[in-house]
Amino acid sequence: MDIGSVLGTFSTRFLGVFIEAVPFLLLGTLISGLIAVFVSNDDLARVMPRNPVAATLVGSMLGFVFPVCECGVVPVTRRLYQKGLPVSVGVTFLLAAPVMNPIVLASTYAAFGWGPVLIGRYVISWIMAVTIGLLFSLQNQPQRLVTPQALGTISGGSVDAVPAPAIYTSRPPLLPGLKQALRVASGEFYEMGRYLIIGAFLAAVMQTLIPQEALKGLATNPVNSVLAMAALAFVLSVCSTVDSFVALSFARTFTPGSLLTFLTFGPMVDIKSTMLYLGVYRWRVVLYIIILPLLMSMLIGIWLNLNVRF
Amino acid sequence: MQLRKWLQPVLLLSLGLYFLSIVLTGRISLYVNERFGWLSWIAAGIFLVLGVVGIVELRRESVDDHVHGHEEPTHAGHRHGPVPSWPSLALVGLPLLLGLLVPARPLGSSAVSTNGVSTGFSAIQASGSPTQLEVAPTDRNILDWVRVFNSSSNVEEFNGQPADVIGFVYRDARFEASGQFMVARFAISCCVADASAIGVIVQWPKASALAQDSWVLVQGKFSVQDVGGQRAPILVADAVDLTTQPEHPYLYP
Repeated sequence: MDIGSVLGTFSTRFLGVFIEAVPFLLLGTLISGLIAVFVSNDDLARVMPRNPVAATLVGSMLGFVFPVCECGVVPVTRRLYQKGLPVSVGVTFLLAAPVMNPIVLASTYAAFGWGPVLIGRYVISWIMAVTIGLLFSLQNQPQRLVTPQALGTISGGSVDAVPAPAIYTSRPPLLPGLKQALRVASGEFYEMGRYLIIGAFLAAVMQTLIPQEALKGLATNPVNSVLAMAALAFVLSVCSTVDSFVALSFARTFTPGSLLTFLTFGPMVDIKSTMLYLGVYRWRVVLYIIILPLLMSMLIGIWLNLNVRF
Repeated sequence: MQLRKWLQPVLLLSLGLYFLSIVLTGRISLYVNERFGWLSWIAAGIFLVLGVVGIVELRRESVDDHVHGHEEPTHAGHRHGPVPSWPSLALVGLPLLLGLLVPARPLGSSAVSTNGVSTGFSAIQASGSPTQLEVAPTDRNILDWVRVFNSSSNVEEFNGQPADVIGFVYRDARFEASGQFMVARFAISCCVADASAIGVIVQWPKASALAQDSWVLVQGKFSVQDVGGQRAPILVADAVDLTTQPEHPYLYP
């Protein structure tokens, strides 16, 4: 095996993840730019209930307002933090939106139809996102969870890409506002894009090193299959808008519980989204955002395998 | 500072042109399922808009600076936010660099060695419908064959069926000196991240003369034989011809 073909394969894999994910990141940065310019802190405060539980429930459904996947959701969450979104609500939004949005609903339906997989995916994702968000709402000093860069204008730092003041008295006119939104999106693409690229790079390295055939050998065991699918979801880093089709190719061989683990854990955490999270949260928080969904989705997956007949 | 400021929109514009070029040349099919090709059009469009708007603004600003001098030193920073650091620029340039410098090629045998070629890829079958059985044998591609093998309860029925398939040559230690090779394809549902290699074993006296990864058109008839203690269809080739890489190198389940 010559070095040229190894590099060629690596490059194809890296570009595969990048090309598949970057349209969604770009859409996310555009939405983020539009929020930065056209949504004021007051607007958000008006929509958000004061009660933390109610706010978390609203956060879990925000994906239907901002339809973004796991790449696009990160810049949008960061922007919403700058607009004063409570940190715990943002965590719920971050974890829920990649599944709880119309695009993913459509693609899951296209792959599996109405049935246990689609319903299971939505119910489990929702429970996980809300539970983890509520856990974060117990934190006394939520601002400490987020990196200073991500808070930008709120903490008074000048590092953020928002040139406009954080508080508006009036909305900017449409055309200059749109130009401003594009400027913000462009800056944000550099901030978030680098994490995506590091993530795509690591995903390509892992796919080269970990033999997938070995994972497929674990397909029918109720516990091991769940572990394998969680690992696969993390390594493949496939976008949540298309992961149903990937799961479909495992549907006959793998246990139903492990499929649901793949479809609920994957959109919340994978190599590239972990890198993106580091642009918003402190690393200790990122660790929680990985471990909590991992444990919950695996426990639910294993429990379903052992107790429910599909 | 000046260079980085210009590189920011120029890199975005270049990425837009790169996306445009892979969609227009069809190279996009080396990376993602063509079903999702339209997403790359969106990416190209957004990159181009961001790049062009950024460059136009920088030009206008440099004209302004020329006219008014630099009486507002914070002016540029205020309008544009931070200029990306060198590491950020380098990272965003990485896909461009790999995309332009490394010759674009589909996954081949060097990707197989980690994924493994499957002759009985039961996973593929899940998303398939029995309609493959209605496809005439000589019109079936490798994916269709693997599906009908899996959905069949009696492998002997394939004895003597004619086949006409295109794939790349894959040989590992098992096929040394056996007069056999595999004609293989990658099946992808979303992008190359979920690629799995599937293939059919071919019997051909001059198998060892075929270079790994070369694209071949294999014509022959199936003969069901014992392979590692199991009855499996082996394609006994009448002709193996070198051919060009197909426009869509991957098969879509």
